[in-house]
Order: sequence, then structure tokens, then C-alpha cells
Amino acid sequence: MRGKCGLFYTSYGQERALLTTPSQKWRFGLFLLVYLLSPLALDAYDLSVLIMVHIAVIGAVSLNLLTGSCGQISLGHGAFLGVGAYGAAYCTANGVPFVPALLLGGTASALVGLLFGIPSLRLKGIYLAIATLAAQIILTYVFLHWDAVTGGAHGMMVATPSILGYAFDTDAKTFFLTLAVAVLAILTVANILRTRTGRAFVAVRDHYLSAEIVGVNLFRTKLVAFGASSFLAGVAGGLWGHYVMYITPEMFGIGLSISYLAMIIIGGLGSVQGAVFGAIFITLLPEFLNWGSGELSGLLPGVADSLMAMKEGIFGLVLVLFLIFEPEGLNRRWQLFKAYWKLYPFAY
Amino acid sequence: MTALRLFALCLALCLAAAPVSAKTIKIGVLSTLSGPTSDVGVPYSEGVNDCADWLNQTDFIPGHTLELLTVDYAYNAQQAIAAYKRFTAKDNIVALQGWGTADTEALTRFVAKDKIPTVSASYSAHLTDPAKAPYNFFIAADYSTQLRAALKYFRERWDKDRAPRLALMYPDHPYGLSPIEAGRKYAKEIGYEIVGEENVALGALEATTQLLALREDEPDFVWIGGTTSSTAVILKDAAKLGMDPVFFTNIWGADENLPKLAGDAAEGCYSLQSAVAYGAEVPGMEPIKEATGGEPKMTHYIRGFASMYVMAEGIRRAAEEGEINGPGVKNALETLRDFDPMGLTPPISFYPDDHRPNMSVFIYQVENGQLVLRGEPSLERKDEWLGH
Repeated sequence: MRGKCGLFYTSYGQERALLTTPSQKWRFGLFLLVYLLSPLALDAYDLSVLIMVHIAVIGAVSLNLLTGSCGQISLGHGAFLGVGAYGAAYCTANGVPFVPALLLGGTASALVGLLFGIPSLRLKGIYLAIATLAAQIILTYVFLHWDAVTGGAHGMMVATPSILGYAFDTDAKTFFLTLAVAVLAILTVANILRTRTGRAFVAVRDHYLSAEIVGVNLFRTKLVAFGASSFLAGVAGGLWGHYVMYITPEMFGIGLSISYLAMIIIGGLGSVQGAVFGAIFITLLPEFLNWGSGELSGLLPGVADSLMAMKEGIFGLVLVLFLIFEPEGLNRRWQLFKAYWKLYPFAY
Repeated sequence: MTALRLFALCLALCLAAAPVSAKTIKIGVLSTLSGPTSDVGVPYSEGVNDCADWLNQTDFIPGHTLELLTVDYAYNAQQAIAAYKRFTAKDNIVALQGWGTADTEALTRFVAKDKIPTVSASYSAHLTDPAKAPYNFFIAADYSTQLRAALKYFRERWDKDRAPRLALMYPDHPYGLSPIEAGRKYAKEIGYEIVGEENVALGALEATTQLLALREDEPDFVWIGGTTSSTAVILKDAAKLGMDPVFFTNIWGADENLPKLAGDAAEGCYSLQSAVAYGAEVPGMEPIKEATGGEPKMTHYIRGFASMYVMAEGIRRAAEEGEINGPGVKNALETLRDFDPMGLTPPISFYPDDHRPNMSVFIYQVENGQLVLRGEPSLERKDEWLGH
């Protein structure tokens, strides 16, 4: 009702809506419109960075479902992306159309995720982290040595994505393709979290014993989390492979897994929006540092060189600073920012 | 008539007043100034940059100046793709100086699609096949060819009645695995007995277990397919165990730092190289000494210098044809026949259907802590080896 101060819901459905107020819907709609029109103004570099952001978003929200929402830490996410990438590439190389190939890649990744999720019943915390690290190592080994499927050390070429004869052969086209999949992934994860299964994830994360007492099947819930998360990771990998058009085992190493963990930690564990923020932040950070060192090189050559050499260190430093000063991530900062402007100019 | 004269006079004045400005040719450079390969990436990048400066000073491409745009991609494929997109979208580069496996392979299809000739320092054999990588080039013999040439060199000097015993030590990594299949096959073909294979990781801190397994087999030759640091670990542990086979390493497996890392254990170790060591008596050393002020640089620096020089030769030839663009430079590079990069590397030839630069390798040996040239074996350019 107009004129009311605050939010008043008259049904549970209203309360659980993704966008609750008309103003939110307008803002989001406007943002989406501008974003969809952005390829008209952006060049291939800008678009390629946004494509990488889209793919990172899919990977980050999927890991956030597993680690942030269900509390199952994974150091093998990069390898699950790899399974999807190789799976989808193998399918398209053998004549399977792109969309089914992408889904099959995701399915292959989900099956592998389920397999490596089995120890999660017995293991948790650091022990589970080591088990998933083992998954990373085993899968990297498979990528490197299963020559018939993966091309081994030489990697494999991947076809340009094509749907019903329409080839996604430019950055602008790939921008829309990856954006569509990213939006689907976000909606999927957001909706999973609003279901009974999603609440079971959170219950397992917060206190597994209490969850079991109230009737949550721990093993099934954890496996579903591993399966769903790995499926989306596989889809992200499949998109990455088809965008790059050449995949090698080196692309899906432990570094990638750590990057995704950093994304969800910096973004905010357990929040879909946080995972999106984290993916954007981590993907743009090296570009920003490169841009910064480039700009500085003209003014302060010494400082620019140091900045370049310190890039890896800066990445670690940012992570540590977030853990110390904003452990709930960028999402929390965003909530505070919104609350500030909602009440502005009054403090309370 | 007066108007015509006036126009001619104005035109002449305009032409006279116009500054004689050189046209800029932009080249993207993917460097690893940070990240896991920065120890060798930094000198390589310095070589590339110093060569470009020297070429500009000598007006190597008449009327044109080379402008290098360097991005540190920290050996991360995603960052390499972003940098490449920036080079092509914002900077309009004509060619690309690439670096390692991660970026070169990730960009193979992009550079082919965009027609950007790329000269990298990833020497995987499959990049030499233009059917798969039409815009990829490099100036060293590929890893497989290097290994084959070294095996031939040692086999020809083998004077015992029995077959020489060969063991292979390499990291279970795309770079380490790259020449192994070709090496195994060729070794058997020319009469080696392969007695063992062991994996030693690139970041290994010890290799005793692997060496103990090999010691039983008494190899005469041990191939090390890692990097300088892993070679140093292997050599030191081998010395501790009293093993004394002939060690020979891949191009990244030994450089001027090996004696510093392995000390006396490095003595006698052979290193395959595609560029001469600093101070070699070749014409190309003169500009290098001038650029470096006489301060010795690693062989990676010289390879970077040669890589830029060969690319510039392609651009120069393309300029002569009036085609300074990607396809023009690619075509020009494919006209190189026994092109001598001032003695810095063996002569280079590229063909439209064969991008193997040559079939030769320099064999250096560590003697008194220095790299000493021992030979330059060459192989026949066999079609069946292309891409393998």
C-alpha cells in the first residue's frame, strides 16, 4: 500500500521474491537494459573481459552453493570446470550440437563431483579440503594422460559455439551467450536456495547434527550440493573452452580453484549476490593492476615496475585485507551502502 | 596559369614543411615479469625490448618505428587472453611476441582467426604445423627436434659395443611431456635402450627416490626435461648418490644459473640451447653488448633478442611488399630461407606448410661453471616429424 513506511508482506511468496520492491525492479530493469545495450559501445577487449566475468560468475555461484551455502569446502573446483570443458569439447568434436554438448559436459562434471563428494559424509573442514584437493590432482592427471579424449599435453581444439546454425563467433555474440547462461545459473542457484533442499544445505552448513535431528538426510544433501555445484562448474568450463577454442590441462590447475575460492570469500560466503561481486572483483583486479601500472609507467616508471612485480602479492594482500576487515565480503559492504542511502540523510 | 603556379608552390611548401615522421608498427608483448616463470621471463623480455630499441636506432625497417606494448600476464591464460584482446581491439597490433605454453596455446585459435603472427617461446612441436596453428612461429627448434638432435649427437659419439642405456626424467606436465613420445620413438630407432622413466616435478626439492630407482638400471645418459631449478635438484642428488651418467637437459632445463644452483654437481652437464651464450663470437653479439653495456645476460635474453630480430625481418620484408599487416608479415616470414639472425641462432627457414624454424640445436656443456659450446647437430627435415 502506498504511503507506508517500510516493507509489508501479505504472503510468504512476496517475502521470498528475488526483487521485492518496485524501485528494485525498476533499477534492475534499467541496469539490465543498459547492460544489454553495452556491446554497442564496447570494443572487443571490454567485451572479452565481460565474457570472462560471466563465466567466472557461473563458476563462483556454483562454488558458493557448495561451500558458502552447504559448508562443503572444495579445492577441486577448477578441475570440475575442466571436466565440463573437456566433456563439452569432446561432444562438439564428435558432432553433438553445442547446447546438448554443454549440458553433457555439465553432466559429466556433476557425475565426477558426485563421485568425489562421497567422502564428504565422513570428512569435513580441512579433511574434506584435502580430499577435494586430491580430486584436483587426480583430474589434472586424467586431463594430461587420457590422450584419446583430452589430447593430453597438447590439449585440444574446440569448435566455435553454434546454436541452430547461428555461430557465436564474435565477442559481442559470445557476450550475450555467456550472459544468458550466467543469468540462468544465478536464477537456478537463487531458486535452489529458496527450496527445501536449499534450506537443508544451510542447515547442514550451520550445524550438521541439528540438521540430521530434524530429518535432513546428510549424505543425500551433501551429494546434491556436490552434484549441482559441479554441474554448473562444468557448464562454466564448457563455455570457457568454447570461447577460448583451445584447452590444455594447465588451464584447470589448482590456481583456478584458489581463484574461485577467493571470489566467494571476497564476495561473501553464502550469498548469490556476493559470489557475483567476487567474480567481478577477482576478474577485474589483474586488469586494473595492468591498467594502473600502464598509466603509472609514464609518470613514475619505478613505481610501475614495482607494481607489476608485486601483482601476485597484491592479490594475496587483498584477500588477507578482506578476511581481516570485511570477512562477510563485498556483499555485506553493499548492504551497508544500500542501508546508508535508504536512510540518508538520517543516521538511524 | 598563375593560379596553377601558386597551387604548385603551396604544394611544394607543404611537402617541405611536413615533418618526416616514421610510421609506428605496434607489437604486443606478453611477458611474465611476475608469476611462476618470471625468473626466465624477465631476461627474455629484456632481450625483446633491447632488440626493438636497436632496430629502431638502426632504422632496420626504413621509415618505420617499432613500438612494443608489454603486458605482464603472470603466466595466466585468462590474463593473456585479456591482454591479447586489448592489443587487438585498442592498440591495433600487427604482430605478437608471446611467451609460454599457457598463453601460446590458449591464443592459437584467436591469432589464427585475427591473423596476428605470433612468435612465442613455447616450442611444442604441434605448434609448428600450419594446418593447426597457421599464425604461430618460434625461432628455436621444437622440443621434439631438439631431443632427437641431441640423441643423434650422443649416439654418434658412442663407442662401446652395447647399446647406450637411456633414462628419461621429466615433470608430469604439458611442457615436460611434450617431447617424450618423439624422444622414445627416435631413441629406439637409432639404437638406444630405454631403461627407465621417472617424474620429477618442476618445483621438486629432492629427487633421491627417482634417482635411486634409476640407479639400478645404470643409465649411460639421462635426459632431464624440467627447468633449471629441478635440474639442479637432480644433479645435486645424483652427486650425493654417486651416480655419474651423462646428463643432458631441455632448453629450459639449464642456463647460466645452473652452476650457481648446483655448484660442482653441474659440471659436465649438457644443455640444449637454440641461442648462443653471451659473449659468443658472432655478429649479433655486438649490438647485444652495446645494449647491455657489456654486462653478461642469460641465454634467454639472447633468445628474446633473436626472436624480435626474426619477427622484425618478417615485418621489414612485408614493408617492402607494402603489406604491413598480419597476413603480410606471416607471408613474409614464410619466405625466410636459411635466414641468419646474426649468428645468434642456427639459420631459420619457414615454409607455408612447415613452421619448423630449423632442425638444429646447440649443445652446450657446463665446464668450470661456464656454458661451453660442444656441437650443433642437425637433422633431416622429415615430413613425418612435422607437428610431433
